[in-house]
Amino acid sequence: MRNLIKTTLLSAAIAAAPLALAGAAWAQDTLSLPNLSYRTGPFAATGIPLMNGQRDYMLMLNERDGGVNGVLLGYEECETGYNTEKGVECYEKTKATGIVTQPWSTGITLQVLPKSNVDKIPILAPGYGFSAMQDGKTFQWAYNPPASYWDGASMILQNISGGNLDSLKGKKIAFLHLDHPFGKEPIPLFQAMAEKHGFSFLPIPVGLSEMQNQSAQWLQIRREKPDFVVMWGWGAMNAGAITEAVKTKYPMNQFVGIWWSSLDGDLKLVGEEGKGYRSISWSFPNSQSPVMQDVKKYVVDAGKSMINKDAGEFEWVFYQRGILISAMLVEGIKAAQANFNTKVINAEQLRWGLENLKFDDASIKSLGLEGMIPPFSTSCANHTGHSGGWMLEWDGSKFVKASDLLQADRAAIDPLVTSEAAKYAAANAPWPVSTECKM
Amino acid sequence: MLYRIAGQYKTSYAADHALFPVRQDAYLLGFILVMAFVVFPMTASEFAFRALLIPVLIYSLAALGLNILTGYAGQLSLGTGAFMGVGAYACYKIVTIFPELNLVVAIALSGFFSAAVGVAFGLPSLRIKGFYLAIATLAAQFFLVWLFQKWSWLYNHSSSAAIQVPNIDMFGITVAGPTARAITQYYFVLCVVCAVTIFAINITRGRIGRIWKSVRDMDIAAELVGINLMKAKLTAFFVSSYIVGVAGALFVFLWRGAAEANLFEIPLSFRVLFIAIIGGLGSIMGNYLGAILIVALPVVLSTVPAALGVPIASATAEHLNIMIVGALIITFLILEPHGLAQLWATIREKFILWPFPH
Repeated sequence: MRNLIKTTLLSAAIAAAPLALAGAAWAQDTLSLPNLSYRTGPFAATGIPLMNGQRDYMLMLNERDGGVNGVLLGYEECETGYNTEKGVECYEKTKATGIVTQPWSTGITLQVLPKSNVDKIPILAPGYGFSAMQDGKTFQWAYNPPASYWDGASMILQNISGGNLDSLKGKKIAFLHLDHPFGKEPIPLFQAMAEKHGFSFLPIPVGLSEMQNQSAQWLQIRREKPDFVVMWGWGAMNAGAITEAVKTKYPMNQFVGIWWSSLDGDLKLVGEEGKGYRSISWSFPNSQSPVMQDVKKYVVDAGKSMINKDAGEFEWVFYQRGILISAMLVEGIKAAQANFNTKVINAEQLRWGLENLKFDDASIKSLGLEGMIPPFSTSCANHTGHSGGWMLEWDGSKFVKASDLLQADRAAIDPLVTSEAAKYAAANAPWPVSTECKM
Repeated sequence: MLYRIAGQYKTSYAADHALFPVRQDAYLLGFILVMAFVVFPMTASEFAFRALLIPVLIYSLAALGLNILTGYAGQLSLGTGAFMGVGAYACYKIVTIFPELNLVVAIALSGFFSAAVGVAFGLPSLRIKGFYLAIATLAAQFFLVWLFQKWSWLYNHSSSAAIQVPNIDMFGITVAGPTARAITQYYFVLCVVCAVTIFAINITRGRIGRIWKSVRDMDIAAELVGINLMKAKLTAFFVSSYIVGVAGALFVFLWRGAAEANLFEIPLSFRVLFIAIIGGLGSIMGNYLGAILIVALPVVLSTVPAALGVPIASATAEHLNIMIVGALIITFLILEPHGLAQLWATIREKFILWPFPH
């Protein structure tokens, strides 16, 4: 018996040794790009396709081009389960080697944001986090390209009003949202717009424990008979709301969601009955684009992807949005490499890179992302870039584009950004505000 | 051998009732304190401070508060998370209204708010006990979290509905907020936890502690020998909620840096209750052992695959982690249903008798 144990231990040690060595060799010219992922917990359903997309784009570049400019992309996941406590743990674990933080939850972003100035690590939060992060002079280390929640709210209002917000006068808009910093984020903008354009605004919160059973909220909606229901949902809340809307026969063409409420899997649950449901989005799936074909060739068909092929995840809005998120990060890396003339960039250099993202028509085409993302660019004063977005509509089996490119109402949002950013800086004094940025 | 008690004579009542009747216990505690005050701070990385040491201390403190109520006074409570929240929000309001105030004072004051709320929700304990009382404290849990969300004055009307810890200086050193160093925060938490622990040890050994224990063991008998049940139960709620409130303030100010209302939801209450139960109800040391098992062990386990160079996806590692910790909890409870503190007591007993097992 003792011999058996000895042999097992010895063989395990021998087997582990090359692995450890391989790890060391692999680490030499690799950029460490951690992602605080969640493939477990109540939000896993929405997290998994996004994480898969992010991972597969990096794998594809490593396979096809050998990384970027000869440096491998070390995509690493640290599991948080959307738990803020695990989020802090993962942040502390990855900040020593990582050159970026992708917090993937507004709650974790809130905790990490004040530390970013001290630890000097850029936060990349595409399409989430604080809307006020747009103000690059105040939030020097935080990036939320290509559109903020306030942009999304403004675009939704424009689309449902047919381009003229004054036509909403006297109407009632219910705002079904997760009772969490994420869901509360657009409320100030909606309230300001409601006052200005004379519609009534009714926030209906959904607690984390009520996500799967929203009968109380939908009873309220049935009683109030709002002209539109706007949803800020995430994870299990989306499926709950959509099935409940079908059950109460709320007209689907008056039901609009933010970009995190456009998971194909949720709408597949109701299929034809979900027809007419709309969701604003800064991304659109295009499985025929060169990038998607390369991902298919190098990663999916090679059996390296973790996607659920039977469910058709490859075509999903969320999977391809994950691809775009990684594409933004990689473009930031490339910009930094070119500017600093070095291959292995550090966190401060990546910060510069993210500040100089250029997704114009030509570069979107050369990257092979045609039709997947509207053009945008970031600067030291503007960390969002404001790509605008399309309204997507569920046609019973997939999402289709239902509008031209919409743009948010900058005149309504920018003053709010300035005042919220100033408020944040004052509450966290002494808060460094960039003096280098002259824009 | 290590625990030989031969030759340690007690010649007075005071010596017989001393905190450490066996000298080796004092040595062991001294060793642990040296580790905590000198060795860990010299060797720990920032990750170890922020993910292991500080959370273990804070959770131990919260469990200690709950243990006074449940383990010593026998009143079951499921509202710990909400009482921690009261402490945190009270501390936030105090700090933002009086920015000049010393943080220690602010934290000490915030404990009184949670103590007052705890006493208010402890009133039903005069009429009901056991599971019925647990349901009453559950009401506190739901009501208070709802209040944290709805009463925007509590979070200074911030649009994200979350509280953010500003930078707070004490004698020229930043102790809380984003610019604070981990080692400073560790020492701060360690000192508070040590002070509260000394207080808790003494109060549970003394007159009040004995009153609580008599109420726990049989409240009718306690009443017959002349103990005022109302006073006994409400003091237990007061002291327990005070400590829990201080733990809550530390939780947000010295560790998390930001918090939203749903942080204090029922999972937090359960977590603290598990620490107290697995550590051992009616013991002070058990809280520390329980917190090490429930808070620190998963963090340590999650670093194992990477340290061994085993290529394993982080989600899989997380699943494994949950399974291992769950299995360990069940194993420990089967081995010793009265918690880790009792397990240690048995081991210690064996050491004292060694090498002559009876």
